[in-house]
Amino acid sequence: MNNFTLGSYMPYDSLIHRLDPRAKIMGMIFFMVAIFIPAGYFPYIILGVVALVLLLIAHLKLRSVWKSMKPMLLMMVFLLVINLLVVRTGYVVVKLGDFAIYSDALAQTFYIAVRLVLMIMITTTLTATTKPLDLTLGIEDLLTPFKVLHVPAHEIAMMISIALRFIPTLIEETQRIMKAQASRGVDMEEGKLKEKIMAVLSLIVPLFVSAFQRAEDLANAMEARGYIPERKRTRYKQLKMAGRDWIMLGCSFLLMAVPILIAMGYLDPLRIGSLFLEGVGYAL
Amino acid sequence: MPIRYEGLTHIYQEGTPFSYLALDDVSLEIKEGAFTAIIGETGSGKTTLVQHLNALLLPSKGKLQVLDRLITADQKPKQLKSLRKQVGLVFQFPEYQLFEETILKDVCFGPKNFGATEEEARDMAVKMLKLVGLDESYLDQSPFELSGGQKRRVAIAGILAMDPQVLVLDEPTAGLDPQGAKEMMDLFVELNKTYHKTVLIVTHDMEHVLHSCDEVVVVAKGKIKKQCDVTTFFEDVELLKQLRIDPPAVIKMREALRERGFSLGKDMLSIEALAKAIQSEVQKHE
Repeated sequence: MNNFTLGSYMPYDSLIHRLDPRAKIMGMIFFMVAIFIPAGYFPYIILGVVALVLLLIAHLKLRSVWKSMKPMLLMMVFLLVINLLVVRTGYVVVKLGDFAIYSDALAQTFYIAVRLVLMIMITTTLTATTKPLDLTLGIEDLLTPFKVLHVPAHEIAMMISIALRFIPTLIEETQRIMKAQASRGVDMEEGKLKEKIMAVLSLIVPLFVSAFQRAEDLANAMEARGYIPERKRTRYKQLKMAGRDWIMLGCSFLLMAVPILIAMGYLDPLRIGSLFLEGVGYAL
Repeated sequence: MPIRYEGLTHIYQEGTPFSYLALDDVSLEIKEGAFTAIIGETGSGKTTLVQHLNALLLPSKGKLQVLDRLITADQKPKQLKSLRKQVGLVFQFPEYQLFEETILKDVCFGPKNFGATEEEARDMAVKMLKLVGLDESYLDQSPFELSGGQKRRVAIAGILAMDPQVLVLDEPTAGLDPQGAKEMMDLFVELNKTYHKTVLIVTHDMEHVLHSCDEVVVVAKGKIKKQCDVTTFFEDVELLKQLRIDPPAVIKMREALRERGFSLGKDMLSIEALAKAIQSEVQKHE
């Protein structure tokens, strides 16, 4: 369980680590929108390159992205099968008796796979470079304008930060109980079905008992210190947008604008390509 | 066969930015049948040290001989169950590992996992619950209705019911009242002296070390700082100071008397012995 990659902070020092969490969250949202706009293959090349560069700048390894992608492999295979069966447009690639595989089915699956990979890359970059607490501060700030619509921004942020705070604690607790039960002869990997059920039970019951105990203790501790959610609170850590944060925001907005413009027909990827080549030609 | 650590190193989360050297080239031998205290500051590696004993943790480097088993860094040990039956490990706050509906079932869980029949497990459970001070009226109660101290007793009985040869206890008295802690320590002494179990105990309480243990192992920053018998340990006042250990009352008294000119041997480890020594000294002057 030590290789819990998705959503775990990596304490390096890089440009991306130092960016304002609000800028990073907004940037991620722009990037996500860009991923889901159907504008052909061209934007994906740009997005892929950008995502790779971001990973590199943040000192992250492709291996960690691969690790968080592994659980999705089965889903991708499943999607591929469904698409092969359902999609019947485009030209026939392979024909096996009555069954034919169409080109659009392959293209669809390919797009979904690319989208998933890009999504994982960008979310990993965000969570690996931002401390969970900064992330919640960012979310709280970004939700503040929605207070007009009675969105409880502070409460949501508090809930997220408590949940995030207790993920490592619960993992630690789980490992501790697993070790304690292993000492009592529980074998989580081998054994018959009945033994396995017993093993899981011997883990889950104590885990729940202690989680509820912790929740109660925390609630009492917060109340004892007079916590009232509606009150205006000050913060120890003040977030400040610096120049580089605005630049990052601008770039990610552009990144979103490109596929939108292409999808709306204002921009032709081929023209961009030829313009780019001409530019390179002039430069040479 | 004793327990022997040979050049054992343990690194947590090796190869990540979180990697942490918990044990650094530890070599140590613990005699069979001894009652050994393992002491050291928080984070010094005591828990890591003892969790190797039943292969919950495996060495990053070096090897470990436990009874007839050899655990090495490069090879994943097989059939851990037989080792875990021989080495019973009681965790810190073991009351958190209770999960069954009744106390009896919970105590039987360990022995049954190691292949005991229903009856054997039951007999053992009843016997061990009695040993920790819980009579038969408790058998069908839920462990979650007990007080903290009683839960701890049930959890310890759950390990004892496995009938391990080596008993490893990680701060078994933490958070107990002084009376409860003393009873618990007396139980471990009984297990050691009457049932001839090798006992290792991680503790911060010097009174317990003085009154119950035979040997002391001092762990500091992942290394073994000192290993000796209890008498020698409390004789080394300089080391105690250096380790920032607050010595037991009797030792403080002895040192205070020594400073005032009493010549007291190093076996003066109880109030009675001290009183006698003072008496004879006073009589000499009369």
